[in-house]
Amino acid sequence: MRRSLIAPVAALLLAAPLPAQQLGAATKSPPPAGVKEGQGAANPKGHYAALDKLPDWGGVWFLTFQGAVPGAVAQPQPKLKGEYLEKHDAMVAEARANNGVTKRDRSYCSPPGMPGIMRLAQYPYEFIFAPGRVTINQEAWMQTRTIWTDGRKHQDDPDPTYMGDSIGHWEGETLVVDTIGIDPALDIATGYGHSDKFHLVERIHLDPKDHDVLVNEMTMEDPDALAEPFHTTARYRRDRYGQLLEFECSQNDRNPVDASGNTEFR
Amino acid sequence: MTYPITRWLLPALAFLGAPALAHHSYAMFDMTRTVALDATVTQFKWQNPHSFIEADVKAPEGSEHWAIEMTAPNNLVQEGWKRTTVKPGDHVTIYVHPLRNGDKGGSFASIKLADGTTLGQSASGKKS
Repeated sequence: MRRSLIAPVAALLLAAPLPAQQLGAATKSPPPAGVKEGQGAANPKGHYAALDKLPDWGGVWFLTFQGAVPGAVAQPQPKLKGEYLEKHDAMVAEARANNGVTKRDRSYCSPPGMPGIMRLAQYPYEFIFAPGRVTINQEAWMQTRTIWTDGRKHQDDPDPTYMGDSIGHWEGETLVVDTIGIDPALDIATGYGHSDKFHLVERIHLDPKDHDVLVNEMTMEDPDALAEPFHTTARYRRDRYGQLLEFECSQNDRNPVDASGNTEFR
Repeated sequence: MTYPITRWLLPALAFLGAPALAHHSYAMFDMTRTVALDATVTQFKWQNPHSFIEADVKAPEGSEHWAIEMTAPNNLVQEGWKRTTVKPGDHVTIYVHPLRNGDKGGSFASIKLADGTTLGQSASGKKS
């Protein structure tokens, strides 16, 4: 009975033309603020040769992991305040009471977003230069991050996202990146939340002493969550001919999170 | 099963706020313990986010089925692994850091293959 009703409705939808401004119609977006018509990342032709002046960041890069193993030097941590500090302390208390294990409210197939994804061991990164933009491909969760270097300004009211809104420029051989708009539902690191005012500046450059090491000096500010700016440095080691592998989490999700926030192991 | 608290508490808590070691926390494993498994491989999954070995393990009361989590393939490649390094039916010894909750699972430490080759970190924690 139900099926006989659904079929004619579906057929009607398939045959009905969509309104002209909807799906399938040609779209036309204006240039972003700070970029003139005909310029910027969307108009790369004629600007590829200039990329050769940029430093050699070829190959893939693995985070060099320091700390969090017995005997390692303690790493500096963000200094939280207010409700963010209270939440952190509650999480630590919970971890102490539960073998160091903390609960989660989302799947491990959900990526950490910024800035955690730039501080992630095991899964390499690659940096692709194009006119007006730097693209960071990340093996982890097959994430893509775009840093606009075409002189555009931050969006006035960016949607809160995993990667945020990143604009950058080159100071000599250092890529300076400014990021806002990171979803406040995400963490700086496990147990360290932030507000919608979280602001990150990264200075990314080769280590002058070792050109197979890429250094990312990060400064994080948040007037609501952080008592003082947090400085930390991520280092990545080059694998010149390495490649990113496919990462399709749903294909091999051995750690589902149950309704109580406990991590399963299968 | 119970373990002395001070041996694992600090390392587990040290992960809070630190750069992430993997796509999830390692707190579920007792990284201070290593157990040897007399194992027959039933499956080898060579895939992100973590490679896995499933195996039937000889136990005093017959056989147990274990799931052993490894690092990502892109790390294992550096240690000499490939998709075909182990296959179902292989008789191997696997050293793992077991799950704290006593379930039959653990984090991979090292393996002695059927031909005697060793891959990974030895039971003493040193690179073999």
